[in-house]
Amino acid sequence: MGADSGSGAAPGPAVPWRKVLWERQPFPDNYVDRRFLEELRRNEGLRQYRYWAVVQEAGLVAQQISCVALFLTLWLYMEQGLLSPSTLLWTGLLCALLGYGLYQALAPRGDSDNHHRTRWSDLQSASIFLSFTFGFSPVLRTLTESVCTDTVYAMTALMLLAHLVAFPYAQPSPPGSLSLNAALFASVCLASRLPGDLHTSGGLDSSSSPSSLHTFTMLCWALLVFALWPCLLQRLRDCAPWVFGCVCVLVGVCGVGGLGSLWPGGAVLLAALLGTVTLLCPLLLIRLQSDKDNIQGPWDEAEIQEDLTHFLH
Amino acid sequence: MVLKIFFPQCCNKADSGLLVGRWIPGQNSAVVLAVIHYPFIPGQVKQYIHQVECVCVSVNGKLVQQEKELKEDGGGEKGGTKRGGGEKEVEGEEGGGEKDKVIFIHYEQRKVMLSQLHPIDNGVPDPQTESQLPQVTTYVLSVFGTVCQSEPLFFLDKYDDGPVKMTHWQSEGREGSIIVELMKQASTPVCLLTTWMLTLWTSLCSSRILNMRPMRFISSKLSTCLQLSYRTEHLQTVCSPTRATAHNHFMRKANIFVSFFVDVSLGLLLVSWMYRENRIGKLANTLVPAADHVAKELEELLQWLMGAPAGLKMNRALDQVLGRFFLYHIHLWISYIHLMSPFIEMILWYVGLSACLGLTFALSLLSDITALLTFHIYCFYVYGARLYCMTVYGLSSLWRLFRGKKWNVLRQRVDSCSYDLDQLFIGTLLFTILLFLLPTTALYYLVFTLLRLVVVMFQGVLHLSVDFINSFPLFAMGLRLFRSYRLAEGVKFRVLCEEPGTPLHLMMDINPLKVSSVVQTYRTPTYSCYPKDSWLALCKKLFLGELIYPWRHKTTKID
Repeated sequence: MGADSGSGAAPGPAVPWRKVLWERQPFPDNYVDRRFLEELRRNEGLRQYRYWAVVQEAGLVAQQISCVALFLTLWLYMEQGLLSPSTLLWTGLLCALLGYGLYQALAPRGDSDNHHRTRWSDLQSASIFLSFTFGFSPVLRTLTESVCTDTVYAMTALMLLAHLVAFPYAQPSPPGSLSLNAALFASVCLASRLPGDLHTSGGLDSSSSPSSLHTFTMLCWALLVFALWPCLLQRLRDCAPWVFGCVCVLVGVCGVGGLGSLWPGGAVLLAALLGTVTLLCPLLLIRLQSDKDNIQGPWDEAEIQEDLTHFLH
Repeated sequence: MVLKIFFPQCCNKADSGLLVGRWIPGQNSAVVLAVIHYPFIPGQVKQYIHQVECVCVSVNGKLVQQEKELKEDGGGEKGGTKRGGGEKEVEGEEGGGEKDKVIFIHYEQRKVMLSQLHPIDNGVPDPQTESQLPQVTTYVLSVFGTVCQSEPLFFLDKYDDGPVKMTHWQSEGREGSIIVELMKQASTPVCLLTTWMLTLWTSLCSSRILNMRPMRFISSKLSTCLQLSYRTEHLQTVCSPTRATAHNHFMRKANIFVSFFVDVSLGLLLVSWMYRENRIGKLANTLVPAADHVAKELEELLQWLMGAPAGLKMNRALDQVLGRFFLYHIHLWISYIHLMSPFIEMILWYVGLSACLGLTFALSLLSDITALLTFHIYCFYVYGARLYCMTVYGLSSLWRLFRGKKWNVLRQRVDSCSYDLDQLFIGTLLFTILLFLLPTTALYYLVFTLLRLVVVMFQGVLHLSVDFINSFPLFAMGLRLFRSYRLAEGVKFRVLCEEPGTPLHLMMDINPLKVSSVVQTYRTPTYSCYPKDSWLALCKKLFLGELIYPWRHKTTKID
């Protein structure tokens, strides 16, 4: 046995080699025959991507980036005093109402009883949001008073990045915990850095804290942009996919435009980023598919293909 | 087989006579206890031996001085003759004239009689366990036991007119002392009186009035009351009219008595020193200004915290709230102290008298007074710790919500959870708030915990010294220093005479117990006041903000 028969050299006797472990065979333990690796499968289940389908999906990512950019634009407007908080607040409430109406209009045909119930619970949720936000605003506005501005900006950037990374792009409707929380944390940090109303804070204060209205407005808009807008987007995607594409493009354009009104360089950068994400990255994905080299075989873990829920009854 | 004979030293110079002793069968040895001199009547000797009811004592052989013939009977199993004095020879009966080896082991009968052997079991000396001891230890134990149990044999001395004349360690005359006899006579009525008084005292203490909830709670917190109950128990042990039979019991009683005596004398010394030049008055007069000074220091500390302490960035609003809250407390405390100030001297005068009961009481009183005077620091610590604890728990729970997870109480693990929108929203707001308020609460907690730890360390030192006084076995230590043969760890042998052709002579000396073993064996068990948490557990508790009580008293061990 051992040394004289090498791998692949069939020994003289007519006993064929069988791939079994329980039988003592006149072959060494590491012997393999011609059929070695014939069960190897390469790149099984490789998906064939089509360019425009991928672009459409990537549009959601670009849309989300533009949302963040829009939010930052609003904050910049308030910080530089170009927009008063009350204006923004009413605008926000109006948008919320409009969006809600659209949401209900696009709802799938269910029973009306369900509608009434959900409307009541929606009203409850809205009142909880508003009351809590209004109640916590005085606390929130002085929260980061003693923290250095650079630290606040760094934290905000980190949190918004976490939001973008953790966003549930496949199904935006129930918002992911981490993404929503990161976005809200970032908005609280930004809200505490808004310039204050000189009448509300004492005139001799060197650090002017923002008024409660500023903070309230900021938080309401954060809620709108990060929590409620993805729900509407999901509805749109389900009901009218072509409208969804237009909406993404619209949002992108608004984002770039809004940023451009304050900071043209930023707008250029944003446009470049959006273009890369939407057009270049799908191209890369499709090109690199040809370099894929996955192997599957009988050594993989077994996957249960059938539905086991019938065992639960 | 080697024959070993234990021979008392006092009988070396005795006249010739019969050897009386015990044969230890398994070890091929005999322990000689006494020599009965000629002339004697064998019948009377036998009667006498039965009379004194010794265990297994029988006539072993004959001592013949200067002509050197010892006849050995040995329970009829073996025979042999020995020659005493300069040369000793052995002839064996069996084996056709073979010479058996004999070893004479001399021992001091008085010392062996009075000593208590502590066989070492797994490195721990314990005078009680006899099971699973190595064979040599049981051998030595049986030798010692033989001598101890033959006490009735040693009652007759040479001045008694009895039927037999013996030589043993007491034959020169029994030891006695008038003082000891008088104390023994007086001890019984004193013990009865003390026991009666103690019963009265304990029944008073367990009466219904004193057993109500608030009184019981207060008395469980004050260490003076604890020490009082503990001493009562001790006294009950000492003054019980039954005589101590076991060695352990006797040592325990003696230790308690001696330490109580030393404690009371030190306490009386302290009282006489304190009351001599009106030192108590001076102490009372400095107490109130000291409390004032502590309060002023605390106020300054809080003002510093309310600013920017050590350059740290505090949340201004919360800072102000907490600082004002604590300042108000200090104001209340100072008013209370000023209210009490006229009565302090009188209270201190009467309370100081209770130091007569012992130095331990004085120390416990000092610890209690410290606790009462620093009560505000304790309160601040509790407030700060609770606030910090809530913050930490809230933060950890909300951090799990931030990541979309939740704590599964049933499985004791972290699981994922899909939250509602409003839950997420409110959770994030609260998380942000708590996170930014954490440095402020943490700083207040740190400051007050440090203050509390200082007070606790001081109290701990006092409690440890009280514990030391209570539990140190003074009597056993005295015995070890002055009568070291009474506490024996083992025996050692010295060669007296080793010449070829004569039997070997050895001297058996008693190896006294090591000092550390004495302390370990005879420590009076107390309500051990050692820290109940290891350092790691303590640090973990401090980090999480749980309240720490490092010097918890264990309940008194019932032995």
